[in-house]
Amino acid sequence: MWWKILLFFWIAVLSAVAIVTPIAGTLGDLAGVAQWSETKMIPMRFTVTDRGGAADDGGWLLRGADEDGREADFHFATRPDGLDQAEGYLVLARYDTEEHRVEVAEILGDYPAFAFPFIPGLEERAKIIFFHVPMSWMTVVAFLVSMWFGIQYLRKKDLEDDFRSAVSAGLGLLFCILATTTGSLWAKFNWGSFWNWDPRQTSIFVLLLVYGAYFALRSAIEVDEKRASLSAVYSIIAAATVPFFIFIMPRIMPGLHPGSADDTGSGPVFSSGMDAGMRVVLYSMLLGYLVLYAWLMRIQMRLHRIKLKRADVAL
Amino acid sequence: MIRQAIAIFTKDLMSELRTRYAINALLMFVVVTLAVIMFSLVGESLSPGALTGMLWVVMFFAAMSGLSRSFVAEEERGTTMTLQLLASPMSVYLGKLLFNLLLVVALNIFIVLLFLLVMDQFTVAQPDLFWTVMLLGSVGIAAATAIIAAIIAKANTKGTLFPVLSFPVLLPLLMAGIAATKVAVEEPVWDNALPELQMLASYIVVVVTVSFLLFDFVWKD
Repeated sequence: MWWKILLFFWIAVLSAVAIVTPIAGTLGDLAGVAQWSETKMIPMRFTVTDRGGAADDGGWLLRGADEDGREADFHFATRPDGLDQAEGYLVLARYDTEEHRVEVAEILGDYPAFAFPFIPGLEERAKIIFFHVPMSWMTVVAFLVSMWFGIQYLRKKDLEDDFRSAVSAGLGLLFCILATTTGSLWAKFNWGSFWNWDPRQTSIFVLLLVYGAYFALRSAIEVDEKRASLSAVYSIIAAATVPFFIFIMPRIMPGLHPGSADDTGSGPVFSSGMDAGMRVVLYSMLLGYLVLYAWLMRIQMRLHRIKLKRADVAL
Repeated sequence: MIRQAIAIFTKDLMSELRTRYAINALLMFVVVTLAVIMFSLVGESLSPGALTGMLWVVMFFAAMSGLSRSFVAEEERGTTMTLQLLASPMSVYLGKLLFNLLLVVALNIFIVLLFLLVMDQFTVAQPDLFWTVMLLGSVGIAAATAIIAAIIAKANTKGTLFPVLSFPVLLPLLMAGIAATKVAVEEPVWDNALPELQMLASYIVVVVTVSFLLFDFVWKD
């Protein structure tokens, strides 16, 4: 019982952390943005090193340092609130290349201890990684588990293994639909269209088709043993051809997802270049989803046993 | 085993030649599909690349409409049991695979020749590469559809289930095949299609191996 409560809080807290944690850039990010836009504002955080004084235009000028230790002048329209106590700020700002100072448009809050890095082109939208990526991984995990129990059925001819295989495929289909819809909604806002046949979109689409075909096959066979062995065989054949889509093609073909062949390391690729905080949240979320999947499997299996018992009683 | 396989292959071939069930239906299917494409393209000028896609669509659906015959016919005639008693599963699979192979290769040669004949805009830059891709693609289609046909022969809704189950399994082959054909049609360099050719070859090896290992479970009741 306790672990279910723990799981619930685990996922809830991580989701809250993922959503609430601010995105905060550095002076380097500001300079990068200033190269292609003069008006674009991004969130950034800095610590105050010198409280400064009133500027010529009636605003306020102070000196601050970002987390990399680089210093710059920060220009505010009015004297910032609570300046005497503040150690730092989270602000919405842009870099003024003519005045060589940071123009602050709005103070968003105090210096946040924990923030996700600013990623050009993704910004707040980068947070989808905490939901979309675990869902996609669970899709694949559920598929592999389904195939594993399919193999177990072929070896031992135990119908319970077949049921495990089917339940896992059902959960995989659920995660697959969730990953596809979240990904495609996100793609509309980040890439401009719901679907653009990026290699990874192709791969999730193929998985969706495989799951669909698997259940179409199951519903077309009436004898339990026949259904079990045929669907197991089909999932193994699919598993032999589909990994090509999931693991190989997204990495050798140019595409929009991180890790594609033409990716130069700008995106949050898992192993390298990803912020430590983001990685911790992502991996914890993955763990949470994994336990959630195991829990759903258990519920389905218990339901199955109860149904079997009732069928026995009825006979 | 090989002798048994060849015997099953000859049996299928003979019964096909006597009834001409699959051949007639497939030839009509190809002619009708091409006619529909030509009707819809009157006055349009399409690039050879776009026509390559059409060619593969015709090839895919022609395969889907005829290739499940070999196993479904055994179920329908009620001869599955006899075959199970007389021949080993391996030789049944091999015989059916050979028959499917012959059927697909003949069918695809017919489709391609007809396509070249009626589509003026479809010109091939490298005929040798083009025919290599067609041959490898046909072998791949035959290998993948043989085991799927064996599976769906046991199911209730055979006709509709076949393309549904085949498409995800065939997709790697289709993508590589289409890409390689595009190279053969548009570019004069053989090496550009090398990764796709390797993929086609490895796909065939993987599918045939997996089918050999699993056919036992599908075939035995």
